[in-house]
Amino acid sequence: MIDSRIYEMFRDIGRDLYTAHMVSSHGGNLSIRFGDRVIIKRRGAMLGNLKQLDLIETRLDKNDSGVALASTELLVHRTIYMNTPALAIVHCHPRTAIAFSLSRDELVPIDNEASYLLKKIPVVTEEFPSGTPEMAKKVASALKNYKIIMLRGHGSFATGQTLDEAFHWSSTLEESCQIELAVKQINEPFIEYRKMSESYNKF
Amino acid sequence: MSGWSGRILDIDLSIQTYRTYPLDMEMARLFIGGRGLGARLLWDMVGPEVDPLSPENVLIFANGPLTGTGYQTSNRFSVSTKSPLTGTVLDANSGGFWGMQFKKAGYDVLIVRGRARQPVWIEIKNDAISFHDASELWGMRVFALTEKLGQNNNKRNVLCIGPAGENLSRIASIMNDRERALARGGTGAVMGSKNLKAIVIEGKDRPAIDDPGQFKFLLYETRKLLAANPLTSQAFPEFGTVVLMNIMNNIGALATRNHQQTQFEGAEAISGEELTEKYLVKNSACWACPIACTRVTKTDKVEGEGPEFESTWAFGAQCGIDDLPAIIEANSLCNDLGLDTISAGSTIACAMELSEKGYMDSDLRFGRADQLASTVEAMAYRRDIGSDLADGSLRLGAKYGHPELSMSAKGMEMPAYDPRGMQGQGLLYATSNRGGCHMRGNMVGLEVLGLPMMIDRFQVQGKSSYVVLHQNVSAAIDSLVVCKFTNLGVADEYFARVLSAVTGIKYATGDMVKAGERIWNLEKLYNLREGFGRKDDTLPPRLLNEAPTEGPSQGWVVQLEPMLKEYYRGRGWDENGVPTAKKLAELELTNLSEQVIAAK
Amino acid sequence: MATVKLFANLRKLAGTKELSITGTTVRAVVNELAERSSEVGSVILENGNLRPHFIVTLNGRNILDLDTAVTEQDTIAIFPPLAGG
Repeated sequence: MIDSRIYEMFRDIGRDLYTAHMVSSHGGNLSIRFGDRVIIKRRGAMLGNLKQLDLIETRLDKNDSGVALASTELLVHRTIYMNTPALAIVHCHPRTAIAFSLSRDELVPIDNEASYLLKKIPVVTEEFPSGTPEMAKKVASALKNYKIIMLRGHGSFATGQTLDEAFHWSSTLEESCQIELAVKQINEPFIEYRKMSESYNKF
Repeated sequence: MSGWSGRILDIDLSIQTYRTYPLDMEMARLFIGGRGLGARLLWDMVGPEVDPLSPENVLIFANGPLTGTGYQTSNRFSVSTKSPLTGTVLDANSGGFWGMQFKKAGYDVLIVRGRARQPVWIEIKNDAISFHDASELWGMRVFALTEKLGQNNNKRNVLCIGPAGENLSRIASIMNDRERALARGGTGAVMGSKNLKAIVIEGKDRPAIDDPGQFKFLLYETRKLLAANPLTSQAFPEFGTVVLMNIMNNIGALATRNHQQTQFEGAEAISGEELTEKYLVKNSACWACPIACTRVTKTDKVEGEGPEFESTWAFGAQCGIDDLPAIIEANSLCNDLGLDTISAGSTIACAMELSEKGYMDSDLRFGRADQLASTVEAMAYRRDIGSDLADGSLRLGAKYGHPELSMSAKGMEMPAYDPRGMQGQGLLYATSNRGGCHMRGNMVGLEVLGLPMMIDRFQVQGKSSYVVLHQNVSAAIDSLVVCKFTNLGVADEYFARVLSAVTGIKYATGDMVKAGERIWNLEKLYNLREGFGRKDDTLPPRLLNEAPTEGPSQGWVVQLEPMLKEYYRGRGWDENGVPTAKKLAELELTNLSEQVIAAK
Repeated sequence: MATVKLFANLRKLAGTKELSITGTTVRAVVNELAERSSEVGSVILENGNLRPHFIVTLNGRNILDLDTAVTEQDTIAIFPPLAGG
């Protein structure tokens, strides 16, 4: 039985992601780890409208939920938990960040909040970027050293101690990309305002 | 060689000789330094057959690759040994200046073995090591001794024991730079049992940094982060750690009168606000620290550093005392005598309860501020009632037929946070490798302060994951070695990058945290080899069975069973808390575990 | 009148440790506090909302929802941001 506080956390963050346009109706995923178990959204459920039944609890190293409907991304989440100190994962589709990931190998924010909190977001690429062991390994490996990464053309994976924290990184990233898009539209010379910013891409 | 000095200094007091040899760099890569390296070396050197107060026990003082580099709070160092209080693996961690100087002297590790035939003190000036007769100094208190041996914060640093360590009190501390402490677990008794009075250091070297450009950048970012965080830039500098007194009391998690209550009506009178208003002279800082949480305080009788939150609590709420000057004086006395304040205060509290209930014949009573100073003195000299209290609350309680009244875990007295008001903290105390300690994964950030966010302190399911993470991260930080207060403002990923920039070895954030996990598991193996098991991962019956009858934590006891089950599984241990072969292989500890199986 | 207790540097700003304030919700009490002391108000409020990461407890339990009801016997404690950036 999943503690109602945990369900509420999933429900609230899921709704926030949807209303912030960071996932489509059925896209994205959330999970947390406790002990040797994982709680994840089941396949086909809507993040913006999660019910208690939409959350699946399963073992960390294999699916013992008895539910074949656990998300196709369960493998990625499990691989991340087994290879990083993450306790929560937010995977979403932040539009502007995805757009930038199509032409860059790393995102280096120019706004204050994201350069302060994130510094640099690597972009990893995988030819079939959904649910394969290769993709899971690649994503997990990158998340060993960064708290949020982009999977080219697909979306972001963010880790944290709580869903709250991972959502924070995701939201900050998308905001940052929207600012950068606006800067491109404004198209005026950039005035550097941050000391030592030349080091951000070496983070 | 960057970061590490690459050298171990190994001193044998029995034959008054020393030798130096290279640090095993593969060992350093895996265990980093400080606590990690200390635990690894202790594993090799001190087995279950060794009595902690015998010549066969060792003291392993260790720096980390970050010590002395000038990164924020890179002044800390640790000592590892087998604890005479608990019998477990022990590391104690201190700040000030000695660690920095020890690095300048050109060593990562100082091993002290054996026992000198006469009291001795050691002087280390880079390659010049000398032994001095300490017969005249034996009996001297810490403040006077520190001055006599020429303490100069930046140039010449004194580490020593006071009368408590000389008298082998199992709660005696090792002091450095006058009022900093390698406090817990009886480190002072081990040093006293070796007839070693002091270690004085002067150094000339500077640690090398592999990537100075990246290091400079990280220094700048850390400065920004610490300045932006209200705890590290305002609350701690202004009020000290004692700012926590009112907070913990307000939420009903301030252990009071030997954990009989969870709120203290006198909390305001012993709070950080009160201390700042009436007794603070100024704040002060360890080397390379911008946080400056140290208090310099003054009463009619004493002036000096401290008290910390825990010390104020131990002689305050835990003893039912709201007389702040008396508490400040007791703290100062402990520093001068070389006694751990948490254990001293909580042991006195235990004696107070034993006496009030008539199990013990003494006039100690809760609330008696006038009894503090004389009792602390008596403990350091094992005089009168002090002979009962000098070895901690568990032995005291056992002597008078009520060991369950010792508020300890594995024999180490627990600190201020009453776990009936913080479930995660309860799990932490029960599973901490060195005993009832909050510094091995403090949950106060998550469960009380909302750092980085607020987790329900009464929630049980899922809580163990945070404890595991914090334990692993704390172990890594204790091995770098930097101050955990930096971690309040600076995320783990910065430490990993600083470690990489300094050493030239690439540590991803996950690698650093994994090193912490490795260290934690090694410490667990050590305790298993010593005979500790699941039954020892527990708390006093009061915390498991007696719920507070009033206050915000009313009705709550620590739900240890479900949390412990989840904790073991989350750590990859079996249901008895033994690391599985799979977990040990993952952590590259397989060859060590064979010794555990052999010992069983 | 609910009791409001202030801690750390909020005391200096307000010039007192404790006040009695009437209000039916935590929000109402906090707003009233800001009215009475503009120094405290400017520190704890932003656009009429409590700044994030202030620790507010009601009888020792953390309050996240400011519209929580308050009665006469309640004690509200406010600690300055010991969190956040």
